[in-house]
This record gives sequence, structure tokens and C-alpha cells, in this order.
Amino acid sequence: MKPRRVGDVTWEIPQHGDMRVPGRIFASERLLGPIVDERSADQVVNVAHLPGIVEASLAMPDIHWGYGFPIGGVAATRVSDGVVSPGGVGFDICCGVRLLASSFHAADFAEHGDAVMAELDGRIPRGIGKGGIAPASLVGPVLASGAAAAVGAGYGWEEDLARCEETGTSVGADPGVLSEKAIGRGNAQLGSLGAGNHFLEVQAVDEVFDVAAAEVFGIAENMVVVMIHCGSRGLGHQTCTDHVRLMGDAMRRYDITVPDRQLACVPIRSPEGERYLAAMAAASNFAWANRHILAHEARAAFAAGFGMSPEDTGMRLVFDVAHNLAKIETHDVSGEPTRVCVHRKGATRALGPAHPDLPDDLRAMGQPVLIPGSMGTASWVLRGLDENPAFASAAHGAGRVMSRKKAKAQSGGREVRHALEEQGISVRPRSVGLLSEEAPYAYKDVDEVVDVCQRAGLAARVARLRPLGVVKG
Amino acid sequence: MAYTVLAHTADTGIEATADSLAELVADLANGMFAAVGRPHSTGERHTVDLQVATASDPEDLVVDVLSELLYESEVRDMLFSEIVCEPTGDTEWLIHAVGVDNAHVDVSGPPVKAVTYHRLEVRHDSSGWYGRVYLDV
Repeated sequence: MKPRRVGDVTWEIPQHGDMRVPGRIFASERLLGPIVDERSADQVVNVAHLPGIVEASLAMPDIHWGYGFPIGGVAATRVSDGVVSPGGVGFDICCGVRLLASSFHAADFAEHGDAVMAELDGRIPRGIGKGGIAPASLVGPVLASGAAAAVGAGYGWEEDLARCEETGTSVGADPGVLSEKAIGRGNAQLGSLGAGNHFLEVQAVDEVFDVAAAEVFGIAENMVVVMIHCGSRGLGHQTCTDHVRLMGDAMRRYDITVPDRQLACVPIRSPEGERYLAAMAAASNFAWANRHILAHEARAAFAAGFGMSPEDTGMRLVFDVAHNLAKIETHDVSGEPTRVCVHRKGATRALGPAHPDLPDDLRAMGQPVLIPGSMGTASWVLRGLDENPAFASAAHGAGRVMSRKKAKAQSGGREVRHALEEQGISVRPRSVGLLSEEAPYAYKDVDEVVDVCQRAGLAARVARLRPLGVVKG
Repeated sequence: MAYTVLAHTADTGIEATADSLAELVADLANGMFAAVGRPHSTGERHTVDLQVATASDPEDLVVDVLSELLYESEVRDMLFSEIVCEPTGDTEWLIHAVGVDNAHVDVSGPPVKAVTYHRLEVRHDSSGWYGRVYLDV
């Protein structure tokens, strides 16, 4: 069923069949075309079948075809009688983005950039089969305490924690419910980037649109910043695998049917549901700590490249925010404050000003919302708004429009590298051949995605960032 | 090569046809690892034998075997190839593979994160077995 326009950038798929709520997509007319063509709108419909879903099955402007849930999907289910679905979080539990400020200007990077990029190249584990920076002995403490355990082991700074969603430690984590396989996969990967669309990027603040918010966030025009995008690695992937399998069997006992097996779900307040949430929280602790350790290494790389101490780099944490999580939150549903489980699968939490979960120094402005662009294009810093129409959620990236297979057929990795270097962007891939899979032409226009976020009231522009150097798997 | 790589906006699909379920599972598994890379001819080859407990339902069986191979390849830091599958009971399979250290692999795609149930299909008809599985990458 074709979505019908119900607002400037809001489209609705009316409730039909066994849908429990309508579907609602935030998109410009241009962005909507591929959303309908590639069947991600069908996945919005499928999610609307989940028991206990409230208001609507929502899609951010960067939505694209996923497995079960669309990437860019948001679904809130009532805690009292709704379900939790691991597919609504994804395999890469707590995948997210971290942004570091610095005391350097873009001109400084022009002088020292080669040295910094060489340091990053040597220090950041990435790609297939590369072990993590941290020892396996830290995995246990990290699963229980997240980024705080990393700080306790000497990675990162204590002050960083206040600038992490959940202060970098997820509530309700129980490492004891993780499988041996999950821990086995994670043991060698703590402090590693992975591959695919994950990256570490050195960027410069290109333009500030909201000076007051930028000041509060600690960024300014021409400042060099570092963006890190990665998640919970094999530990998270295995945790999702384990629980989708378990829930597939459990659904029969709860008499739940879903249109796609990857939407497997159980009641939130069931033993299986509570076990998943405890496992998901432990895996998310791995992810918070993983980004924390990589940030520590990035500081060390800049310190070595500039010939100074990490403290002198001024590389404070702007914010760390997840875009693959399910969280129990309170939102207005039909005018009533209601406890819901907000599944954000490729969607960034975006708390508005005055929210009690924000650190004191950010509360006046709202939460920093970090939206990375595709390789070689702009990334964005936005801020959360009051009256967000998507359970305090916004986009999480540019959103793919082209399969990896098709992207590779369009050009080779060396051509993509050359094109980036022509733009003055230093590229440090582990595998040159894979660069073409992540080429800008494989993604939507991130500026248009951000424009829709602003027009839909999902988040407001603060600053645009331009890439200077890319480290990828 | 008895499999086909399917395009998907975010992920990768593998499709295969075979005369037997055992061949089908092996083809899908070989396709999964071939999507990631190919071992160098100079890499040391390790024989890997795995006993895998699976569901009896063919679709679940495919996910169980591929997920187990994915786990083993990750913790052994190896890429598998030349996979052969052999049922040893209703819910027990013996898997033979050749493993090569990831340091000796020509990478051709991103590592597989997980095996999904999305659009999963395994069926048998008069022409043989057909299977399709999508992988999160």
C-alpha cells in the first residue's frame, strides 16, 4: 500500500489487515521513492503487527531495507502487555557513534595530519580477524560496568562518562545470562572497530548553525573532531543470534505470530523477555566500552602525531550515543504517560531540552544527536527537541540506497580511494577493495536526511562536519 | 560454485540448489565464507571437524549450521572453505572444513555478523533442494 502524505515530510500507511497501528515514515518526496521501491515500507508494515505496539510503526528519513525491522525503524511497545524483539535492536547491539572535540584547528591537521593518520593506521584494529586493544581479562568487568570498567583499567578519562548515553553503563545488565559463545566471540575483540560501515573519521567542523548549542557541546568552526562508529562486535552478534532462536520457539507458547521470522518476540514481562533485556544490556556495556577504548587510542594517536600528551590534545568527549537499542522509557501515549519499550533499530535517541536523563551541562540545549554521513561526505551534529514525534528518536546516518554488490560493480576500491584523496581526504583502509562498497554513491544524501529531521521536528541542526581522514576495515 | 550471491540493500544473500539437503547446507556455507574472502594458496590449511546439534526443521537447520560455522571461524580466527556436511542423526551433523588463518585471506567482502531468518527459505521438490539465506554484514 502506497504511503499517503499527512504532513510536510510525514507519510502514513493506514492500518490494514492485522496491523495494530498505522505506519509512519518521515521523508521528503525524493527520499520516499526508494523506500517504497526497495520494500522497506513493507517492513514498516510488518513491524506494525507486533503485540502492544503503540501510536505507529515509525521510520526515520534514512530508512532502508533490513532484515525483519527496517534499518531506521522505531517501535514503542507497552511494557504492560507488549513485546520485546531482538530484531528491533539488531545483531550489532548498541552500535553507535562517539564524537571527540580537540584543541586543534583544521590548519594544524594539514601540518600534522600524515603523522596522525599513520598513528591511527597502526593503532586501530579493524577488518577481518583483527584482535582488540584490551585484554580478555577486561571483558568480564566491562560486561558488568561498561565504560566505567574501561576507565578503571586506564582507558579514557573519568569525565568522559557524563557525556555518554546511560553514562556508559546500561542499567539491568546481567553478564551471567550471556552464552559462552557470545563471551568467546567478544574476548578477542574489545577495543576493535570491525568492518563494513564502521569507521573512525577525523573531521573538521565545517559550519555551525546553532552557535549557542555548539558552545554548550564544546565544538566550534574549524575545530578538528574525531567520530567513531562501531558496536558490540561478535559478542553482540552472538547475543542477538541466541535470543532470536530462543524467541522463535517461545513465541508458540505465547501464541504470537509475526509476518517475518526475524521479528521473533516475547512479552517484555516474561522470563525470556527479561533475560533478553539483561543480556542486551550486558552486550551494550561491551559496546560503550569498545568505543571508549578506541577513543583512548585515538587520543594517543593524536598525542604521538602532534608530539604532546593526550591531555594536551583537548580531546574531550562531546557525546556517545547508541542507535541500536531497546530501552524502557516513559512517553505520552494518547495523552497519558506510559512505560514503553522503545526499539531503535538504526535510529538515534534524541532527548529534548530539560530531560532529566541529560547531564546538567547539556540539559538546556537537548541531547547531541550524531548523524554520520557516508564516507567522504558531511556528517552532522544536531540536538534533540521537545515534542519529538518519534518517541525521542532521529535518523542515524545517510542510509544505504545501493547493495554492496551493485556498489562494487560501479567502481573499484582504488578509484574510490583516488576520488577521496583528490578531495584532500586521507584514507587508511585495511582492505582497499572494500572501499567501493561504502562509496558515497551507495548512500542517500545525508544533507537531505538532516533536512527532513529538522522539518519533521526530530532534531535541529547544530553543525556540519567535513571529513579530513578515514580509517576503515 | 553451486551458489549465487543475492543483492540486498544492507546485507548479503546466498541462494543455492542441490540434490541433497547435505549438499545444499554445504553450498550455502561455502557461499557465506566465499562472500568474505578467499584463502591464499600459501596459507597453511587446517582440517576442521565439527559436530553440530541442529533443529530437524530444514530452515532452522541451515541457520544452526551456518551460525555454528560462523562462531567457530571467528574464535579460531580462520576463514573456512571446502565445507562438506554429513548428517549423523536426526539432529546431529558432522561438518568438515578447511580453515586458513585470516592473515592469509584475500578479503572480498565485509565479515558476516550473523545468519538471519529474514526471507529464509529451504524447500524440496521433484527437481531437488532449494535454499536461500540472508546474512547480516
